[in-house]
Amino acid sequence: MQQPVDRTATPYVLLQLSLVTGLTLLPHGMNLTLAVNLYLILLLGWRIASLRLPRIKPGRWLLLLATLGGVLLVYTQYRTLIGRDAGVALLAVMLLLKVMEANKQRDIYVSVFIAYFVLVTHFLFNQSLLLSLYLLLVMVCLTALLLEINRVTASPRPYQPLIKTLLITLQAFPIALILFVVFPRITQPLWSLGNSATAMTGLSDRVTPGAISQLIESAEVAFRAEFKQSPPVAEQRYWRGLVLWDTDGYSWYTDPRQPLAGGSPEITMRGESYVYNIFLEPHNRTWLYSLDLPISAPTRTRLSRDFQLWMEKPLTRPLRYTGHSATDYRTPELSLDMRQRALRLSDNLTQRQRDLVSRWQATASNDSQLVEMALGFFNSNPFIYTLTPPVYLNNPIDEFLFEGREGFCEHYATSFTQLMRLAGIPARLVVGYQGGEYNQLGDYFIVRQYDAHAWSEVWLAQQGWVRVDPTAAVAPERVRYSIRSDFGEEGSPALFRTDNGGVVSSLFRQLGLALDNANVQWRHWVIGYSREHQFSLMRGLGFDFLSPTQWSLITTGMIAASLLIVGLRITWQGKRRATPIQAVYRRFCRRLSRLGIDRLPYEGPIDFATRASRRRPDLAAQIQRITALYIRLRYGPHGGEADRRAFTTQVRLFRPPRRYRKLNG
Amino acid sequence: MLALALDQWLRRFRRRARPDRRGGVSVKPRSIYILPTKQGILLAVVILLMLVGSINYGSNLGHLMTFLLGGIWLTAILHTWRNLLGLGLQPQQAASVFAGQTADFTLLMINPSALDRFGITLKSQGIRGDSVDIPANGQTRLHLPIPTQVRGELPLPDISLHTRYPLGLFHAWTYARLDLSCLVYPQPAGSGEPPPTPVYTRSDAGDRGVGTDDFVGLRNFRPGDSPRHIDWKAHARERGLLSKQFGGDRTEEVRLDWDLLQERDPEKRLSLLCRFILQAEAREQSYALRIPGQKIESGMGPMHQQRCLSALARFGAGNAATG
Repeated sequence: MQQPVDRTATPYVLLQLSLVTGLTLLPHGMNLTLAVNLYLILLLGWRIASLRLPRIKPGRWLLLLATLGGVLLVYTQYRTLIGRDAGVALLAVMLLLKVMEANKQRDIYVSVFIAYFVLVTHFLFNQSLLLSLYLLLVMVCLTALLLEINRVTASPRPYQPLIKTLLITLQAFPIALILFVVFPRITQPLWSLGNSATAMTGLSDRVTPGAISQLIESAEVAFRAEFKQSPPVAEQRYWRGLVLWDTDGYSWYTDPRQPLAGGSPEITMRGESYVYNIFLEPHNRTWLYSLDLPISAPTRTRLSRDFQLWMEKPLTRPLRYTGHSATDYRTPELSLDMRQRALRLSDNLTQRQRDLVSRWQATASNDSQLVEMALGFFNSNPFIYTLTPPVYLNNPIDEFLFEGREGFCEHYATSFTQLMRLAGIPARLVVGYQGGEYNQLGDYFIVRQYDAHAWSEVWLAQQGWVRVDPTAAVAPERVRYSIRSDFGEEGSPALFRTDNGGVVSSLFRQLGLALDNANVQWRHWVIGYSREHQFSLMRGLGFDFLSPTQWSLITTGMIAASLLIVGLRITWQGKRRATPIQAVYRRFCRRLSRLGIDRLPYEGPIDFATRASRRRPDLAAQIQRITALYIRLRYGPHGGEADRRAFTTQVRLFRPPRRYRKLNG
Repeated sequence: MLALALDQWLRRFRRRARPDRRGGVSVKPRSIYILPTKQGILLAVVILLMLVGSINYGSNLGHLMTFLLGGIWLTAILHTWRNLLGLGLQPQQAASVFAGQTADFTLLMINPSALDRFGITLKSQGIRGDSVDIPANGQTRLHLPIPTQVRGELPLPDISLHTRYPLGLFHAWTYARLDLSCLVYPQPAGSGEPPPTPVYTRSDAGDRGVGTDDFVGLRNFRPGDSPRHIDWKAHARERGLLSKQFGGDRTEEVRLDWDLLQERDPEKRLSLLCRFILQAEAREQSYALRIPGQKIESGMGPMHQQRCLSALARFGAGNAATG
């Protein structure tokens, strides 16, 4: 009923295949849905069990059913069979089904090749250095499996094929490196990448109550920033992202139907300006982050009138750009359209809000005093800064201000902005990140999702737009220290990292920072390697005058040279370097070979000497003498210098005549 | 048909290792052929797909992994080539068989290098011989079974060594010709006329003929004597181990003569003679053989049988009959 099992597809090899396949799929556990994960574990477990108990090996119909079930499962989970997530899920299911039915050598090849393909799909989700090293190891294991099935007898120790595969991989590495450096990078995808925005964490262009506090749970890196000069202090490190002008009383956004007209704004700098590099993680959005306030736009971006940086297309790949910002600035006169928009109110204002603002207006003599009073309101009343605020359902701002009084930065910022507008001061909401962790090793800041922040900007005569952070009025620590992502149980007040833990935790932090630095270099040189890198490298090497055709020829030449080196190396590998004594003995053998007496591969020196002496009795004495010396030198306990010299001399003088001379003749 | 003709024609240009003075061959760098296997082509396609995917998603790490696999693919060519390079083959032996049986050619494969070799298969014209792994500086015997059809000298056809190690992506092979032949005896006839009637003759040597009839005498025990023939009583009398000797007073002799057979077809005659020889040997009859050009005196035993069968095998092969 079942086909005969291939000699190389033994249960042991199939077990190895199953385990390596498991390792191949392991990192996808985080990327696939729970149901798909469970299905994959079920299949793998079944496979491994069926190797011990052949009775439970699935038949053809059951396999077909499992295939259909897998496809159906992926479809119900993702509502599609194409695209990144569903595609990977489908590929994983197919790989395991192939492994399940594998009982021939051919199946092992196909499984390994599918697994190779699965390896590169990991990079669509995570590109860290650690994962890459792990996947490299898995690739070596997969290749070692091919090595194993091409032997006749099973390798006595499982690490032997691994070592040989590592060697082959090392020899292949220069070729990979050459291709990696010179292979042209195309900036546009070949076809649409589909919708994968859901998988990205990060700020959204709409702030609803609770939107930012969700982000606080993620320690994912948003971007890294590297300053050319001394960086600004923590209180000044506001990373500006989006400006939100409009509100419906519940959420804040910028109405895309009313784009701000006009080009780049004028700005008057007062203090020093900062130049810095930002390494932005892909967030699938079109805005960039910059230190508050950007004064010029990096290449291929646009600076809008409300000081936001925009790109043409959503960012799907890591991006590195140079920003230029001022922390002490003065913005130009407010235009009429902006003023109107910055004063627009939602229609769910309440009387107690109006009363509160009128009280401030009665006492304040100018706008900046009124701002001070508003901040004092937050400071003097029992407002609590918490990561888990109560849910305000109907009128979030009103309920927060007068009832709950527990909120996160977005509650403070939105309500403050609204109150300012009510008081007739133009105001807008800004979201971005605040702070960031300094990495001493790499001299840069890591800004993570839990650094997400929202603040407000008000327009004051004489000063222009001024940043006001009402959260700082309630919890000044927030802007000085970072929030830890590993905070305690639900409902506990926000914790702040103060960098004064014990020695061990400090050590771990240092280790983490070192790892992050390695990751940054990795990001810069490998993940972020781009067309620009390529061009600057060519220019640096002075090769930028070469045409693409010439380049491809040179590349081919380099690969050929690399292969030649490997070829020479493995050709010589088997030929062990002869000791001087052996070299001399080989010369002796060559001289005998000229007489037609060849040393056979399996013939020892003594046997050879005996045979040679029988063939040429006239040379027997010489042959025996040389052989005796050789054996003493090579195999004896210690060869004396005299013996060595005698051996060399005798071989040098050994010039036998071609023709056999009779001893007495 | 055309393909066969093309193959025959191409065969003339084939590089093969030829025997050296000692009769062995060794695989030279330029006599190795190498082509991707089906799996190698499949992997190339997979690598291409990986590249397209990596380009599309702009994944540099995808590029790197793809190029690494591509590098491994290329490097595998060299390793597969190296796996054959320098291997030595020596002819060993090929025991004689009857036509229709399978000849077993034995070769000695020598790995003279300090590099282990794996997955080497010996083939000849589509017939698969042994597959072996040979450790560094090791040697191993390889068998190549070749079915026989006709009697006569069967030279070892062109042989080839094949390998797919290390990754099975490439198939490297090399051709060699070795001087080794197998003597194929005629196939014993299954039917046909009965063997000639034995001639009973009194043995000139009296009772020393071979038989089981009469007790002849005792002699000292030699290894190989049947224990039933040991004179245990003598042994009990402490006279040492003695074997009883039996002999017939007459011997049976079969005269196998080419000219006396009724069968006319020469090959069938040889087959008949072959059967008669085997039967006579089985019945412990002594036999003499006479075929045109050769006459073998009466005798018995494996050596005699081999001599007679060889004469049949070589019958008509020109000089080979006498040589």
